[in-house]
Amino acid sequence: MEFNSALPIYLQVVTAIKREIVSGRIALGEKLPSGRDLALMYTINPNTASRVYKELESEGICFTRRGLGTFVSEDPDLVKRLREEMAQELLEQFLEGMRNLGISQEEAVELIRKGDL
Amino acid sequence: MLKLMKYEFRKTMFSKAVILILTAVAELAYLVGVFAKIEDTMGLGIAGLFMCAMIGIFYIGIESLIVFHKDLNTKQSYMLFLTPNSSYRILGAKIVENGIAIFAAGAFFAALAVLDATIGILYIGGLKEFLDILGEVVKSIQINIDVQPEHILMTFLAGLASWMMMIVTGYLAIVLSATVLAGKKFSGFASFLLYLVISWIGSWLMSLVPEMQNFYVQFGLMIAVAFAIILVMYAVTGWIMEKKLSV
Amino acid sequence: MLESREITKKFGRKTAVDHVTLRLEPGKIYAMLGPNGSGKTTWMKMAAGLVKPTSGEMLYKGEPIGVESRREIAYMSTEPYFYSWMTAKDVGKYYEDFFEDFSMERYQQLLQSMELTEDLKTKVLSSGMMAKLKIAVTMARKAKVILLDEPLNGIDLMARDQIMRAVVESAAPDVALMLSSHLVDELERVVDSAIFMKESHLIEVSDVEKLRIRQGKSIVDRYREIYGNGGEQVC
Repeated sequence: MEFNSALPIYLQVVTAIKREIVSGRIALGEKLPSGRDLALMYTINPNTASRVYKELESEGICFTRRGLGTFVSEDPDLVKRLREEMAQELLEQFLEGMRNLGISQEEAVELIRKGDL
Repeated sequence: MLKLMKYEFRKTMFSKAVILILTAVAELAYLVGVFAKIEDTMGLGIAGLFMCAMIGIFYIGIESLIVFHKDLNTKQSYMLFLTPNSSYRILGAKIVENGIAIFAAGAFFAALAVLDATIGILYIGGLKEFLDILGEVVKSIQINIDVQPEHILMTFLAGLASWMMMIVTGYLAIVLSATVLAGKKFSGFASFLLYLVISWIGSWLMSLVPEMQNFYVQFGLMIAVAFAIILVMYAVTGWIMEKKLSV
Repeated sequence: MLESREITKKFGRKTAVDHVTLRLEPGKIYAMLGPNGSGKTTWMKMAAGLVKPTSGEMLYKGEPIGVESRREIAYMSTEPYFYSWMTAKDVGKYYEDFFEDFSMERYQQLLQSMELTEDLKTKVLSSGMMAKLKIAVTMARKAKVILLDEPLNGIDLMARDQIMRAVVESAAPDVALMLSSHLVDELERVVDSAIFMKESHLIEVSDVEKLRIRQGKSIVDRYREIYGNGGEQVC
């Protein structure tokens, strides 16, 4: 995985894991790799890897079972919530980009409709 | 310590093997000469064996200094100085390994000489003559031992002291030049000059030993002073390596 | 854990390290950055006990560097240093003979992952293979402090990944790791902090994530700021 140089690395990994959950590559309730294995998977610093889990836990996306490891939440609404959250984020970025080009929201909607999506 | 010695031996194994091979060639020439009764070949073999013994033992001593120089002035030094061994131990392993090598070589060549002489006399002169000679040799040794067994001990001590003096002087010279010159081009030559200066100081110290009436007391005193100087040089060398030397 | 206090090393008239005070904490991975000749190697060699400081001191667990510290500090130099008669197997045996924390099993595993075989003669190794061998034998120690000088030098992209993985594998709460390099962005993702050295001085120690959170900057950006175009190329 390539990292953007302006954002914290742990947040970029958090986003990558959220994407995996939304796309279904990681199932609800699934056991996540240990901090060390996560560090190896992404070739990142082990302290950054544990920070990733801390962040995911604080967002209610995963939880730790003592001695067993970290698991993805079993909440059936999680995927929906994450999808909405991430879509919102993308939308904001998109609109911001459009505004910077001097394109209004209506024009952008028009562009999307005409686009081969 | 044994592990360090093992690797010291490994570093000089090649030249020791060369000495052995050359000795084997000379030995072969000698044996061919004896059995085929070709005097020239035999003579060549004897000369070769003598050369191997003299140069071989001398070279084992010199090589110890060459290896030490390399161990301090090339990147190879990390091999020794990264390991959890004190400089005193590293030095000690080098001295003991070299001592064993030199005495082993001496014993080997002495044994070979006795064996070759035996074969020569046995084959050329016949059994009877050999037994006569053997008897005489035994008798002469017996006499020697009976009269002055301490001579053997004294020769051994004198040999040990002078060899250790040479090797420790060499080590000190090499360490000094490596510390001050830090592996520069002339460090080898500088070591040699330092060697001369330190040996001169050593012999000057030895000359300070007062003359005694009794020869044995005199000898004992000389040996004691020599070992004291060796010990001091060893300690100084180890201390410089431990505290000052950057490799 | 490992710290230098006002440490200075002069080689003749040239000052290689100038009054550097620096402390490595266990559980952290550090990048030692700076152009050639900035003092990185000399600092590491003083920590390994190969180079003796001119003034100041280098302490490991509060004690000066010496025989005891060498048991727990593993150092890999940029230059090859094995005896010329050695094969890769001999190198492993040598380390096994002298370091209690060396694992032959781990060594063989690392050799294999770097596509090296035990019968390779060190005398004829290419520089890339030699670099990998040095890393394998150093990382096969379970040392408390691991100092790798330019571990990515002369190593192809595929093997770099292997090395970075080995680094992550060696990280532990009681281990401090230091990697020097001028390939800054290769290191950024695996280190906690970057130590910037310039002209024998310590410039600053930056936490990778803090720098990103507070200033939106990567270590690579900071590297450019500190060294300008005078620094070595950032690949």
